[in-house]
Amino acid sequence: MMMRGLGRGLGFWIGAAVFIALAFAMALTIRNEYAFFAGFVVLQFIVLATAWNILGGYAGYVNFGTSAFFGVGVYTAVFLLKAVAAPLWIQIGVAALVGAALGLGVGLLTLRLRGIFFSIATVAITIIAETLITNWKFVGGATGVQLLRPPVTSPFDSYNKMLFVLAAVMVVIAVALARHVQNSGIGRGLRAIRDDEIAAECSGVPTLNLKLVACALSGALMCAAGAPSAMYLQFADPVSAFNLNYSVSALAMSLIGGTSHWIGPVLGAILLATTQQLLTVTISSEINVLVLGVMLVLFVVVAPEGIIGLARKVWRLVRRGAP
Amino acid sequence: MKSGRIHRRTAVAGALAAGLAFPVLAQQGPIKIGMSMPLTGGLAAGGKSALIGIEVWRDDINAKGGLLGRKVELIVYDDKSSASETPAIYSKLLDVDKVDLLFAPYATVPTAPIMPMVKQRDLLLMGNFSFQVNRTVKHDKWFNNAPWGPADSWARGFIDLGMKAGAKTIALIGADQEFAQNLMKIAKDVATEKGIKIVYEQSYPPSTVEFSAMVRAIRAARADMVFVCSYPPDSVGLLRAINEIGIGDSVKLFGGGMVGLQFSSVMESMGSLLNGVVNYNSYLPEKSMQFSGTTDFFAKYQKRAGEAKVDPLGYYLAPFGYAMGQMVEQAVNATKSLDHKKLADFLRSNEMMTIVGPIVFGPDGERKESATLMAQFRGVTDKNIEQFRNPGKQIILFPEKWKTGELVQPFEKARK
Repeated sequence: MMMRGLGRGLGFWIGAAVFIALAFAMALTIRNEYAFFAGFVVLQFIVLATAWNILGGYAGYVNFGTSAFFGVGVYTAVFLLKAVAAPLWIQIGVAALVGAALGLGVGLLTLRLRGIFFSIATVAITIIAETLITNWKFVGGATGVQLLRPPVTSPFDSYNKMLFVLAAVMVVIAVALARHVQNSGIGRGLRAIRDDEIAAECSGVPTLNLKLVACALSGALMCAAGAPSAMYLQFADPVSAFNLNYSVSALAMSLIGGTSHWIGPVLGAILLATTQQLLTVTISSEINVLVLGVMLVLFVVVAPEGIIGLARKVWRLVRRGAP
Repeated sequence: MKSGRIHRRTAVAGALAAGLAFPVLAQQGPIKIGMSMPLTGGLAAGGKSALIGIEVWRDDINAKGGLLGRKVELIVYDDKSSASETPAIYSKLLDVDKVDLLFAPYATVPTAPIMPMVKQRDLLLMGNFSFQVNRTVKHDKWFNNAPWGPADSWARGFIDLGMKAGAKTIALIGADQEFAQNLMKIAKDVATEKGIKIVYEQSYPPSTVEFSAMVRAIRAARADMVFVCSYPPDSVGLLRAINEIGIGDSVKLFGGGMVGLQFSSVMESMGSLLNGVVNYNSYLPEKSMQFSGTTDFFAKYQKRAGEAKVDPLGYYLAPFGYAMGQMVEQAVNATKSLDHKKLADFLRSNEMMTIVGPIVFGPDGERKESATLMAQFRGVTDKNIEQFRNPGKQIILFPEKWKTGELVQPFEKARK
């Protein structure tokens, strides 16, 4: 059993190393910039969906505040860039710390609420954060701010390629964290909370502490995902940075992929973000929004447990059908 | 043997000719113009109207035989009114679709993120109704089709009109949003420079729906002019509050930067409540603004807009989309080239004739002189969209060259 676990762990890390090496090789060989623009967005959504799933999936606390954390990440980067011209890795690191602190603070204020009340409280956080940034002139206020990129560092020949590889590294960190949470005592505690919080509390599960840890981790990853966006767009404005689309997409990606396992949000994000990118440059009209809506409804009706649930069902059927 | 040699030579010549002909044939493909456009989301109504304007130009130019003997093809993607979509779309246009020329999306926010990209790649970008988007980037191949001109000209036109009417004080109100705050700051600076006393200044959250307290405060401040920087819902809310409470006899001039009063749906629903307001506009069907091709364009636009259920009047954005095409057409024909530097040099140093009047660019790629109109609504009746197709419903007061009447003041009198 232990050997099987070790084997799985080794397999995960080998997969992660291959993934980063592949991203790096793509950056060095592919010349078409579009692949990196579109690829960065897909990778960014994997981080966001994975981060959402730590609280929303494992603990069952439906969080609509993804856009608040994402926006705070964007503006942490903008602030650091304008104030001290901080390099990108510092922007991401500080954004993660700010996100963790914000997650902890928000958690303390909201995690005593449950169900729909918690969800409403998380929507309010986005509005509060957006209003604060709208009125903060130093980071561009309501008008937004245009940012110029510093020169790219070797071995990359364009900033987008560097951002793409960076996003790939962030995906590995986010997924590794989510996987660790899932397989550790924290994950078991969170699942107990999801199934029956009162029963978990009575059984000695430190519910509030676990939820706070999940909220801080989730917030740190969301803010870290937002930070490189400032340099990706070279522009930040409150409406785009705090766009509710990030909240809805992160939630939808996790639900479509399946919330019970770390691979669910990854699959959901790849499927949905890639479809979004493809639809934007193919159908490109109101229909692309409709296609996404229909896809969501279909998954909720046909596969309420997401791709993972669907795969499990198919696997069971295959095994039952086998001689 | 001889004949064989001749055959070989013919074959070689033929192969060479074919080899040469292939690139020529390849060049005969369409000239691709790429852009994103807000076709969904908050800016979609404007984006669709602007796109019809550009499409009418494409069809007109193709009917004339295209540009440099090649057909013009538009490649358009929906940016969902979001800044986060446009960098990837413009990269796709450049790196995958290999477009020859770029048009910017409608409005400032979707345009802002592509400015650094076009500067880094040194490409020509025709702007589409952005406001001061090149201020930070300072790209020398940016040319905005909007009539704004220098940043302060908008407020200057309004304040000059007020001063001519004897105004000495001003009240400033504006939404707490990007464009409105920009404009309000500029109006404040111009007022201070001209020695106009600011007697009231108030920003309000964009979600405000109740304006009676603000209208009462302006009334109490007894301002001579009221400069408003509002978005469509607040423009409507403010005018309704004024209709109920009244703004006071001291106000000679009311309006300035009220977004929404240019859109058919708002104009139709507000009807007579618009009377007396002096507001900015880009194009109006007044006699002074009839240029070569204008009537023909609106006939085509209004037919298509009716079918597509888009802004039926289309005065605000659509003719500028067409003008954007006309400017490129003149630059390409004059330079006989698609080279972005040559085209930019031409656009920078020539006056171009368009259906919205002659256009000359300043060094920042904005109009050298402002062509932003200040017009006063007059004699507007309720629930009648057709009335706005005729001259006389919005009298142009500024700029002088297109003036079609005098200011009626005070505002309370002009409202009746």
